[in-house]
Amino acid sequence: MPNMPNVNGRPICHRAEDLVTYLYGEASETDAKDFAVHLQQCDACRGEFSVFQQVHDSILVWRNEALGSAFNPAVLPSESTVELTQFVRRDRKLTALAALREFFNVAPLWLRAATAFAVLLLGGLCGLALLTISRSWNRPVQLAVGESSKVADPNKEPKYTQQDVDKAVQKRVEEIARLNSQVALPKGNETSAIKELTVNRSRNQLAHNSVQPKTPRSRGLSRREREQLAKDLRLIPRDEDELPFVLSYEPNQ
Amino acid sequence: MDLATNDEQMVKRALSGDPEAFGEIVRRWERRIFALAFGMLGREEDARDATQETFLAAFRNLRGFRGDAKVSSWLHRIAVNQCITRQRRAKVRGETGLEDEAEKNAAVFALPLDASPARTAEKIERSVAVRRAVGSLPPDLRQVIVMKEFEELTFQQISEALELPLSTVKSRLYTALRQLQMRLQKFGE
Repeated sequence: MPNMPNVNGRPICHRAEDLVTYLYGEASETDAKDFAVHLQQCDACRGEFSVFQQVHDSILVWRNEALGSAFNPAVLPSESTVELTQFVRRDRKLTALAALREFFNVAPLWLRAATAFAVLLLGGLCGLALLTISRSWNRPVQLAVGESSKVADPNKEPKYTQQDVDKAVQKRVEEIARLNSQVALPKGNETSAIKELTVNRSRNQLAHNSVQPKTPRSRGLSRREREQLAKDLRLIPRDEDELPFVLSYEPNQ
Repeated sequence: MDLATNDEQMVKRALSGDPEAFGEIVRRWERRIFALAFGMLGREEDARDATQETFLAAFRNLRGFRGDAKVSSWLHRIAVNQCITRQRRAKVRGETGLEDEAEKNAAVFALPLDASPARTAEKIERSVAVRRAVGSLPPDLRQVIVMKEFEELTFQQISEALELPLSTVKSRLYTALRQLQMRLQKFGE
């Protein structure tokens, strides 16, 4: 054919539309005869017709393999033989376990490993959270006593019975009674009495500390306080009447 | 009664609240839409999903359906858009490598048992090449070739469905066939 353009190294004919109409059998009888005559004369159309026929056959083979040779999209299915919406994908209802199983079957290995790791991590975090919560429930009341705050541990704290308390009270009463009895000691024994009192106080303080939380250490008594204390305890007589001997500033008396 | 007239009536009935009417539309068009989706996407599972999404979208937009267009044109446009969207998503996800293997396996089961191994292998390779060639066409060419080869629509029907001039449909089909032939040569090497 003259005036034939060349595309991609192959000549093409201006009757391209007639070619596809003829190829798919949609040309009228007259047009089909006319094109058949043209096909015998035109190398380009003959070559393309042959190639297009192969492409068409290949697509048909693929289609029939995939959809089945009996598949005809133009035929309406009868309601009695074909289930409604057979070509529409229906959502399957899976249980949670089945869905999880299917996910693990389909998912790649790295995704399975990541999921397992995430589940373990989540479990660990939940455990840790529960442990923390349970500890906070059982935590004893924090006691701020003295200089340093200490936590009173009920497991380590010594437990006292009523008998122990009674004993301690009795002992303390006896000590007080003894101290009272020592008030009448001679003057030469004052120092030892005070010492004993101090020792007893120290003991009492120790006993007291073992029962109760620590208290801040008290400063030492001043001289004036000591004298006042001695007076209160009648270690030093208040009146001259009570003195065991009379002090006189007059040397002649 | 004419099929197109029936379609219009079915849409009207569906709009007036007839629950069976839309089911009838689905029953009439699902095979064609499925064939179109299969040709566009190349995989049965994807084609079923796309078909379902097409009818769901149609049902949701039933009130927006204009009576001046045919139901078939309307459904085809929705289906083509669904297929193009799905392909775009698949491209983003990079779903290419395993598809060929799945396709090959499916083709092996589809072949007759008495086929020789060499012939079987050749047919499988050819099918995979055709699928890839069709899949690699631009969407406007692909939809024309699929409507012609898979839906077996006439040029006139394609023209009406896509609302294109008849000559444009033929021209596109010609271009599609030429490109397919070149791609098949390339993939077959």
